[in-house]
Amino acid sequence: MARRLAPWIIALGGTAAVTFLGHEAHLGPSTAGFAFLIVVLFAALRGGLLVGAVASIAATLCYNYFFFPPFYTFSIAEPLNWVALGAFLVTSVIVSRLVIAARIEADRAERRRHELESLHRLSIDLFTATNRVGALGEAAGRALKHLGAAEGGLVLFDGTPFRQKVVFWVGEKPDEIEDLIAGVGRHREPLEFPSPHGRDVYLPLLIGGHTAGTLVARGTDASMQALVSASRLVGIAVEREKFIEDNAHIEALRESETLKTSLLRAISHDLTTPLTAIRIHTEALRRGDIGEPLAGIIGETDRLRRRIDNLLSMARLEAGKATPHREPTPPADLFHAVRENLPLVFQSRPVRIRVEDDCPDANVDPSLILEVLVNLIENAHRVSPNGAPIELLARVHPTEAAMVRIEVLDRGPGVPEQSDATQRGLGLEIARSLATANDGFFEITPREGGGAIARLDVPAAPLPSMESA
Amino acid sequence: MTIVPVILVVDDDPAIRESMARELRASGYTVIPASDGQEGARAFASHAPDLVLTDLSMPRSDGFELISAIRPAAQTPIIVLSVRGNDADKIRALDLGADDFVTKPFSVAELLARIRAQLRRMSGAAMKTLVFDDLTIDLERRRVVQGSRDIHLTPTEYSLLELLATNAGKPVFTDHIIARVWRDAPGTTADTVRVHMSALRKKIEPDPSSPRYIVTEPWVGYRFIAEPAS
Repeated sequence: MARRLAPWIIALGGTAAVTFLGHEAHLGPSTAGFAFLIVVLFAALRGGLLVGAVASIAATLCYNYFFFPPFYTFSIAEPLNWVALGAFLVTSVIVSRLVIAARIEADRAERRRHELESLHRLSIDLFTATNRVGALGEAAGRALKHLGAAEGGLVLFDGTPFRQKVVFWVGEKPDEIEDLIAGVGRHREPLEFPSPHGRDVYLPLLIGGHTAGTLVARGTDASMQALVSASRLVGIAVEREKFIEDNAHIEALRESETLKTSLLRAISHDLTTPLTAIRIHTEALRRGDIGEPLAGIIGETDRLRRRIDNLLSMARLEAGKATPHREPTPPADLFHAVRENLPLVFQSRPVRIRVEDDCPDANVDPSLILEVLVNLIENAHRVSPNGAPIELLARVHPTEAAMVRIEVLDRGPGVPEQSDATQRGLGLEIARSLATANDGFFEITPREGGGAIARLDVPAAPLPSMESA
Repeated sequence: MTIVPVILVVDDDPAIRESMARELRASGYTVIPASDGQEGARAFASHAPDLVLTDLSMPRSDGFELISAIRPAAQTPIIVLSVRGNDADKIRALDLGADDFVTKPFSVAELLARIRAQLRRMSGAAMKTLVFDDLTIDLERRRVVQGSRDIHLTPTEYSLLELLATNAGKPVFTDHIIARVWRDAPGTTADTVRVHMSALRKKIEPDPSSPRYIVTEPWVGYRFIAEPAS
C-alpha cells in the first residue's frame, strides 16, 4: 500500500513543498518553474503516466496561483506569462512521457537479460549435467524452475499425442489437461491462458518435423520467446536421450550378435569333431581294419549324442519350455552315473572320486547336473596329458552351509586366457547355463600346481525333519 | 623314392588326432602328433616334417599361430582342417601361407589325394613338362596336348592354365591370378577371370559342366585338381 502511495506523495507533497518554499523565498517565476519540473519528473519516474500527468496539472495550477501576477488568482494579466505557463505544461508532460518510456525500455531489457541468463543456465544444465538415460525428468524440472513456473511438467508422446507418458510433473494435474496437451501435440502451436499467478502455457516439443511431447508451464511470467526457447532446449534434450537409449540398444544387439556367432561356431566345432572322427573310422573299416575303428565309432556316436542332448537341454531351458525337476540327489549317485556315461575316460586314465562325510545331498535336477558333470569331465579328459588323473570331489560349501560344492580337478594346461566359447568348447558354456538353471554357480579357476578346477556350487537339499523320518 | 614322408598332425581332439594318425600310417607315412600350435611348432623344429596337417581352432595356441611360426622360414606344405561355414578362417589361413584346406568332416581318400598333390608339387618344382592323365603341358614350348591332339589356347588362357597347373592341388586366390596373369591391369575383375576361365574350360575339360581339371573354390579362387600321372 505504502509503495503505491509513494508516487502520489512525491507528486502532491513535492508540489506543495515547492509552492510553500518558493513562496516564502520569493523565488522568481523561472526558478520556481524549474523546481516544479523536477517534482513532475520524479513523480513520473516513480508513478508512471497518470501520476506524471496529475503532477503536471497540480504544478501548473500552483505555479499560476502563486507565482504569476495577479497573485492568488487563476487569472494571468501579462499575455507573455500565458506563454511561459503553457510552455511549462507542455514541457512537463513531454518530459514525464520520455522518462516513462525510458523506464519501460530499461525494465524490458533487464527482463530479457534475466531470461537469457536463465536460458543459458538451463542449456548448460541440460547438456553438461545429464549424460545418462533417465535424467530427462530432472532436466524438465530445472526448465520449469528457470521459467518461474509453479506447476507443470513434461509429457512425451508414445507414437501419437493420445498415448501420453508423463516424464515429470509438479503440482496438480487436472484431467482436462490431457486434452490440451494432445491438442498442442496435434496443432504444433503453443497455447496460453491467463491464470491467477501469471499464465499457463503449453509448448509443443518439435523435433525434426514431428511433436515429441508437450512442456507445460503453469503460472509462469516468462516471455513467450523465453518459453519457446526453453521448449526447444528440452526438445533437443529429449532427442538426445533417445539417441543415448538407441545407442545402448544397438550396443546390446551387437553384443548378442557376437555371442550368437561365437556360440554358433562352438556348436559347429563340437558337432563336426565327432562326425569327422566317425568318418575317418568308417573309411578304416572299408580298408579292412575292424577292432579299433569300431570302438572309435561307438565312442564318437556317444559323444555326438551327448552333444545333441546338451544342445537340446540348453535350447529347451532358454526357450522356457523346460523347468528343472529338482530332487535331493546324493553326489555319489551323480559320480556313479558319470562313470556309466563315460566308460572310455574311466578306462583310459585314473579318476579319483571323493565325497566328504558331511556333504549334504544336492537339490538339483539330476539329469541336468549329470550332463554338466559329463561335459566337465570330458573337457578335463580332452586337455589332460595321457595318464594324468582327474579328481572328482563333493563337499559342503566352505562358507555357505546351504550349498554343495562339486569340483572336477585336472592337470591340463589350466584356464585359457581367452574366454571365447570356441576356445573353451561348448561344454563349459552349457555347464554354465545348466548350473544357472539349477540356481547354481559355475566357474573355472586355476589349480595350484598346474591344471584347472571346474567348480559347481548348487543348493543343498534340506535335511529330512525328525517327524517325516 | 624310398624315403617315407613325415607328416606332422596337429589337432586338439585326441579322437581325430589318433584316428587320422592311424590312417596316415596305414598309407605308409610317418606321423608326428601334436595337440596344439606350440607343441606343433616344437615338433616342426625337431622333426622337420615333409608336410603339416593342422586344425585351426585349438585352445592356448591355434593353427594360425602355427602357420605364422612355420612361414615364411620354411616352404613345407601346410594343409589346414577347417570347419564348414567358416570361410573367414579358411581365407585367413591361406593368406598366412597355408597351401590347401580340407573341410571337416572330410573323406580320408580326399585328404590322401591332397597330401600326394602337395608332396608332388614340392618334389616337381623344377619340372619342364607337366604330365597329367591325358593332358600334357610343355612349359618350355608353351604347348598343351590332350591325348594326341594339340590344344590351341590364347596367351591369356595358356597363362591361366600354367599358373594353376604348376600349383596343382593348391587353391589359387583370384587376386593372385589377376596379379600374375593380367599383371594387375586396371579394370581387371573377378568377372574377367571368370570369362577367360570358362573359355579355357571349354577347351580342356571333356565335360565343362562337371569339371575334371579346374574347380571353383567359393570365396577363394580356383584349383587345378588333376593328379599328375606318375
